Amino acid sequence: MSISSISSRISNFSNSVTQGITNVVPKMTVKGERANNVISWIGEKVSSPQNRLILGVSALMSQPFIDLNNKKVDEDTRKVSAARTVAKIIAGTLTGVAIRSGCIHAIDAFTKYPSQITPDMKFKNLRSLFAPSEGLLKSLDHYKKSLGTIISLVVMVFTNFLIDAPLTKYLTNKFVDKIHQKEQMNKSEESNKTKEVKHE
Amino acid sequence: MSNASLFMKFKDLVAKHYGENPGKMLIHTGVIGWILSAAAQVVAIVINDKIPKEQKMFLVPQEMADAAVNIVSFYLITQTFASVANKLVKTGKWLPGAVRDFFEKGGLADKLGKKGFDVKLNGNLPDELLKKYEKFDKGIDVIATTVGSILSCNIVTPLIRNEIAANRQKRSIARMNSKNSEVNPVEKPSVSPSYQKVSLKDFQALSSRVYTSSSNLKV
Repeated sequence: MSISSISSRISNFSNSVTQGITNVVPKMTVKGERANNVISWIGEKVSSPQNRLILGVSALMSQPFIDLNNKKVDEDTRKVSAARTVAKIIAGTLTGVAIRSGCIHAIDAFTKYPSQITPDMKFKNLRSLFAPSEGLLKSLDHYKKSLGTIISLVVMVFTNFLIDAPLTKYLTNKFVDKIHQKEQMNKSEESNKTKEVKHE
Repeated sequence: MSNASLFMKFKDLVAKHYGENPGKMLIHTGVIGWILSAAAQVVAIVINDKIPKEQKMFLVPQEMADAAVNIVSFYLITQTFASVANKLVKTGKWLPGAVRDFFEKGGLADKLGKKGFDVKLNGNLPDELLKKYEKFDKGIDVIATTVGSILSCNIVTPLIRNEIAANRQKRSIARMNSKNSEVNPVEKPSVSPSYQKVSLKDFQALSSRVYTSSSNLKV
């Protein structure tokens, strides 16, 4: 069996799955003006930094609980793994959102068609550095966000080691210390109670 | 070809593929992010002098397997969500009220949602409604991609990862214990027999020292 026939089979399978799901999903009409405006706004404004933020917040609401309910490992591992997950999410989301947003802003400043460059702008020669050929797009908005996100991925290869990893390690240690402190306090409280009972 | 024209080709390629498709960009950059994150993990293990060569031989493929699970789950789920949403809007099963009213008045309501029907191509929408429809399409695209990535990154992947990690941990403990029992009695360390077997707790303590394991970083 050739590679092309395998890929066409996969593609056919994926198409039929998509079509199957599409057939089952009920019809939907968004009638309210406000709801339509919200959907349009999401399409226009939500890009990779906001997407990363949404992923981070929802990750905080789900992943630690998945780790805490992982019955295949002992309780101590569950707690440490949840602490590490929270630390990883906080560090990853903070750097991810900041770098994506920073790169998109930087690209935005240097992606202008010659007609958009005004006399009061500084660095006029560099303003069209990242602009694509004219006439390709109606609006440069999504292009800037896409290019900014691609650049940010390259930046994050380095910041992963320089910021994410040390920050995750620092936060994990802080959380684990807190968990252990709490456990020790609980243990000492329990032993005090047992002593009191013995005295009685 | 000069560097300048290569750079221009790259910019045009980005514009052509993602300039009008924010959802597609989110999926592709998400996949690239996972790949880079996995590559960073592997490099971190390879350049870490504190990890012995034998452990590296286990950790590197382990990391690659983790990455494969993450990437495949992210791509399959998110892409399916985006494709379904795209089909629903393209065939007119999901529409803004004003656009559906237009089709109902024009007698095309029965064609909406049918396979092969394309709102943009077959709908003959007036400019104002076409703009509304395009904005709605982009919005649904981003919402579907975001919901798909939440489901894959925050629910499916952690569940699969925990399952795989727990199984792998059990196998590793068994392997370490069988190695210990094979050690020549003369070479055995002078510790009490109870310490020669690796317990689940000891193994977890040891593995927690290997900081780079199990998808620590996410681009």
